[in-house]
Amino acid sequence: MEIGLIGQPNAGKSALFTKLTGIGAISSNYPGTTVEFQEGSVLRKGVRLNFHDLPGTYSLTGVSEDELVATRLLAERQLECVVAVADATRLEQSLVLIFQLIELGFKVVVALNQMDVARRRYSIDIEVLESLLRVPVVPTVAVTGEGVEELVEVLVSGNYTESNFQVRYDRHIEVMLEELGRDMNSATSKFPQRGALIKLLEGNDYFAGQFTDRFKAEADKARKEFREDHGEDIEVHITRDRYGEAGRVARECISKRVPPRKISDRISDATMRPYTGIPILVAVLGGIFLAIVFLGGFIEETLLSAYSAVVGDFFEQLAEWIGGPAGEAIASGIDLSLQAILAIVIPYIVLFYLLLGVMEDTGYLPRVVVLLDGVMHHIGLHGRAVIPMIVGMGCNVPAILATRVMESRRERLILAVVIVIAVPCSAQTAVIIGTVGNFAGLWYALVIYLILVALLLILGWLLHKVLKFEPTSLAMEIPDLRLPLPRNVLWKTWSRSKDFFVVAFPILLIGSLILEFLMAYGVLDSLVAPLAPFTEGFLGLPPVTIIALIFGVLRKEMAMQLLVVLFGTADLATVMTPEQLFVFALIMATYIPCLSAIAVMSREFGWKDTLKVTMASMTLAFAMGGLANYLFQFI
Amino acid sequence: MPSEIAEEYLEAIFDLTQEGQAAKTNDIAAKMNLSPASVTEMVQRLASDGYVSYERYKGATLTGEGMRIAKKIKRKHRLLERFLVDVLGAKKDEFHEEACRLEHAISDESEKRICQLTNNPKYCPDGDPIPECEDEDCAHCMNQSSVPLQELCEGEGGEITHLKCEDAVRIRRLISMGFVPGRNVILEERAPMGGPLLIKMEECRVALAKEYADLVMVQREHPGGTRRRTRARRGRGTKASV
Repeated sequence: MEIGLIGQPNAGKSALFTKLTGIGAISSNYPGTTVEFQEGSVLRKGVRLNFHDLPGTYSLTGVSEDELVATRLLAERQLECVVAVADATRLEQSLVLIFQLIELGFKVVVALNQMDVARRRYSIDIEVLESLLRVPVVPTVAVTGEGVEELVEVLVSGNYTESNFQVRYDRHIEVMLEELGRDMNSATSKFPQRGALIKLLEGNDYFAGQFTDRFKAEADKARKEFREDHGEDIEVHITRDRYGEAGRVARECISKRVPPRKISDRISDATMRPYTGIPILVAVLGGIFLAIVFLGGFIEETLLSAYSAVVGDFFEQLAEWIGGPAGEAIASGIDLSLQAILAIVIPYIVLFYLLLGVMEDTGYLPRVVVLLDGVMHHIGLHGRAVIPMIVGMGCNVPAILATRVMESRRERLILAVVIVIAVPCSAQTAVIIGTVGNFAGLWYALVIYLILVALLLILGWLLHKVLKFEPTSLAMEIPDLRLPLPRNVLWKTWSRSKDFFVVAFPILLIGSLILEFLMAYGVLDSLVAPLAPFTEGFLGLPPVTIIALIFGVLRKEMAMQLLVVLFGTADLATVMTPEQLFVFALIMATYIPCLSAIAVMSREFGWKDTLKVTMASMTLAFAMGGLANYLFQFI
Repeated sequence: MPSEIAEEYLEAIFDLTQEGQAAKTNDIAAKMNLSPASVTEMVQRLASDGYVSYERYKGATLTGEGMRIAKKIKRKHRLLERFLVDVLGAKKDEFHEEACRLEHAISDESEKRICQLTNNPKYCPDGDPIPECEDEDCAHCMNQSSVPLQELCEGEGGEITHLKCEDAVRIRRLISMGFVPGRNVILEERAPMGGPLLIKMEECRVALAKEYADLVMVQREHPGGTRRRTRARRGRGTKASV
């Protein structure tokens, strides 16, 4: 049985999807978390339920790309029924979407979500709502799982039908519907006549595809006529009538409205007011930076000393047992790979994702959007671009996908370029803080971040000037602040960082074994020698670092992990000067995007633009590295 | 000010003289369901009051002043029909007569409000043209009650009257987020550095760029800047107590 999950942004569709299927979909407290739809299948009470998690959408008109995706999927999939995930705290808005689903003849089951928050404000009479809409309504709290069983029960029992609920539109519109409907043959159509006609009058092509051109011309004429008569577009009027109806329905089933004015509202205000908001933002960012540096450093030390206590001289014995240079190579290859994971992935990457998860779930990110919108306009973007950038601090791949929330391709491209080049992903952060921050000093790391911020602004501004266009404007809902649920944060952290263990570790292990062998048999030096003029002369780095730079294309964190392997020690301060570490980290911070980022970018933007960006970022990285090396000679 | 019955006559003559010819007493009588004798008497009275010019055997035509009043009544009638149908949802056979009775009762001020509320319509529900407003500056009239959302003070509320925009994409974005006529909004906050406005709408909060906020026209909750006046009064109050 095919079931669609649809609802307005941030209503909790992904959380519900996770609870229904057991498949993890990332959910956060900001609109637009899901840009790619997910499918999940589950066997309940002998019935196979196939859920489709659609991106959030306010209406079925389809303006931004994510809304278009939702609209298209809804129109094209053969859905047995649609679970409308309504937000009980914003009932009116949810109802407007539900009306449209009913109008288009979908069998709707309403999951009235976020009931926990709504209950604190007012009570909703579920029975009244059910009798008004004539569809089943199940109150749920997706994050805790409340009501999910009941929802499954309704879905499995098949106790739902098309509702005959109708929004009463303006008389003029009803007359138009009547007149248009009279000479129309509805027998072959996919959607009910009334619903499809309304969509046609609204000027929407997806649901109105069933009409002939003659009909479309007729509807166009009616649209023009309406505009002349009322001085208002017909789609505005239709939506106005829907909101009117939604207001009536909401009034009938909601009682005891308590105007909420809680502490969290006050905090929420403070995060957006200029005089308090900007200091809070600086404090939050500074706090994250310091947490990663100090907490990360502490965890790294603890883990490494625990590791050496556990392992003891196991690897030395292993080397002796195998014997010869091969034994040395195998033993230290495994040993150093494990150390690299402990020294980089867990302390820095996992920690970063943990902090990111907390930030996402509180609903703080949309507030950053509001604060930075003004600044972002100077680089041809609007505030909403902040969220993909912050997601990009975790990993560039989902960040490039998240650029879909922007309205135009140009904005998406600017944003993707800026993210790929100037926003350090968690692996790059691990390199910056793990090398420079740890072994050369905090100030060096801070300088790299400042360079990146400057680069971001310059790059954005340049692209804005080159790709001349008018940036679109921000219109985004701001969710309430709430306390993150530890389970969700932990789960997100795990699902985001597990790749580092299951994908990256094997690659690292094989890479280090090969390198160890090359070193053991003395081949490596002769391999890197031809490039020495570049590495040593231009960048001032030890010749072997070129290997780390090359592997950095595969995965960013490997650059540093391989340094550990190449030098045979996790204490990089003993083999490289602070200046060398700085140059190395600076190159890594802006260097070529990793393979998966390149792949996803060429899928989203085409290989031509991707190639340009890749070449540009490599040139830029080496130019800055060379420049830094040159400047260090004068200090 | 002519009486209600005189207004009815002028309206009937207005309808009958649409093609430029004079209105015959018999035709007026048939239209108003009255006897020709009483019509002749009334038309003569209207002529002496200067509202119509009347020639025996030929019929009556409206004078300048008569025309002005007839148009005004016609306008009120057709606006009322629009109001009854669009706003109150009246049925096809109901609204006509009701508008006929109401047209004499409503003030010019209410006429203006209905015009604003129904968005300055050009035709009545039957498709007949609504005579234009006497005030020359229609745009000014339409705008005097609504201002762009942008112009509200922080903390001030209002009701959305219309969206001032021709671009379909922007209109759709706005209406899909709930910015539709008839809803109440409160401007909570302006973000720094030319950032967005924070708008509270029912239970939702939306960050809206200035470019969008310029398109959303609202009617202030307390028209005429009552807010400011209250503030000023409070100011004086404190001074007096000191």
